[in-house]
Amino acid sequence: MLQNFQYTAPRTRAELHAILADRGPDACLLGGGTDLLANIRGGLAYPRIVVDVKKVEGFAGVAWSAQDGLLIRAGATINDILQDARVRSDFALLAACARDLASHQVRNRATVVGNVVNASPCSDMAPALLCLQARAAISSRRGEREVAFKEFFKGVKKTVLQPDEVLERIVVPAASAGARGDYHKLKRINGHDLGIVGVAICLGRNGDVRLGVSSCAPTPILVEDLHDSLSAEAVVRAAMKAISPISDVRATKEYREHMVQMFVRRLLDEVKS
Amino acid sequence: MKIKVTINGAAYEREVAENITLLHFLREDVGLTGTKEGCGGGECGACAVILDGRPVNSCLVLAAETDGGSVSTIEGEAKDGKLSEIQEAFARRHAVQCGYCTPGMVMSVRALIERNPRPTVAEIKEGLEGNFCRCTGYVQIIEAVLDVTGQADSKQEPTHA
Repeated sequence: MLQNFQYTAPRTRAELHAILADRGPDACLLGGGTDLLANIRGGLAYPRIVVDVKKVEGFAGVAWSAQDGLLIRAGATINDILQDARVRSDFALLAACARDLASHQVRNRATVVGNVVNASPCSDMAPALLCLQARAAISSRRGEREVAFKEFFKGVKKTVLQPDEVLERIVVPAASAGARGDYHKLKRINGHDLGIVGVAICLGRNGDVRLGVSSCAPTPILVEDLHDSLSAEAVVRAAMKAISPISDVRATKEYREHMVQMFVRRLLDEVKS
Repeated sequence: MKIKVTINGAAYEREVAENITLLHFLREDVGLTGTKEGCGGGECGACAVILDGRPVNSCLVLAAETDGGSVSTIEGEAKDGKLSEIQEAFARRHAVQCGYCTPGMVMSVRALIERNPRPTVAEIKEGLEGNFCRCTGYVQIIEAVLDVTGQADSKQEPTHA
């Protein structure tokens, strides 16, 4: 039996906002639960109330709008986006990051929104969302706001979200559709594992190049204002300037720096070929 | 709170604690102890069950979340005292040693072959990457999946790497 908490599954947005307005500081939002329930069990989270967002009307799945782009709603799982025809045809980088996240069972529960709101430095979805210039659509009883992912992460496990707010959906702009991209993730094993280093690349149709890097700073990092006319050395230099890896139980700082350089070179070759 | 859930085709209506996992609900409240607890944190897959058609780690699901849903566990495999085709293949291929991972392994295989009736070795490994086995080295398990999907004479190498 886990520590005591109350469970509630609001059916409407208004109900969800009301619960968070009243009890936000005592609440944890439950998406797929693959981090939250592990954290509760491990004594790393002590919610008084667990608020399940999956049953809120309009919070499930992925949608496409020619005007706004790809909408990844709070309840959308990693496998939901992997099975989405639009993601498969137009958002190769999102699919690459999703495929490398944990195991099939975890991907059936874990949500894209959950992976970013946890704000782990080793988030696998954040590098893709940073590269693709995605925005977080955040709502509360006070209203709505949108925050670009490059402004969203504030530190290890810290984001701009206030206790009464919910990240309702991720908006990946239509302009990012069709960009070439891929994700390379260093793991201890060729299967279910946390990343030691992750590098995503995105090459837009106008030649813009962006990198997203995980596990190399207190937050996932975006390296932007690059172009496919730059030399590989220049792109590597920009990446090295942006990251600040540490040595920990999984790898040394030097190994991480080395692998970022390797991955950037390989990814550049791959997307330019 | 009260939940309604279908388990291996039978309807249950139960009062559950709001903080109990699906795993502990199955084992302690319903008495279906075939599903095992390994790590309890979503790493090992020993507790895998099929929830609404998808394999999940039951240690990372609250019983309360399954209200209105449908769960399949290892107890639903054998019918009338006869093992399922997956269980038969595991026995035939010696894919079981200590047996602790086997219920979760079988449920992941069940879900895999329902979405992909002739998986390649690479697809089998991807489908089972969340199920750890510390005894067999996986080769016999992959052979059992090739066997049950009619690919026993496959030239594919079921290596563990």
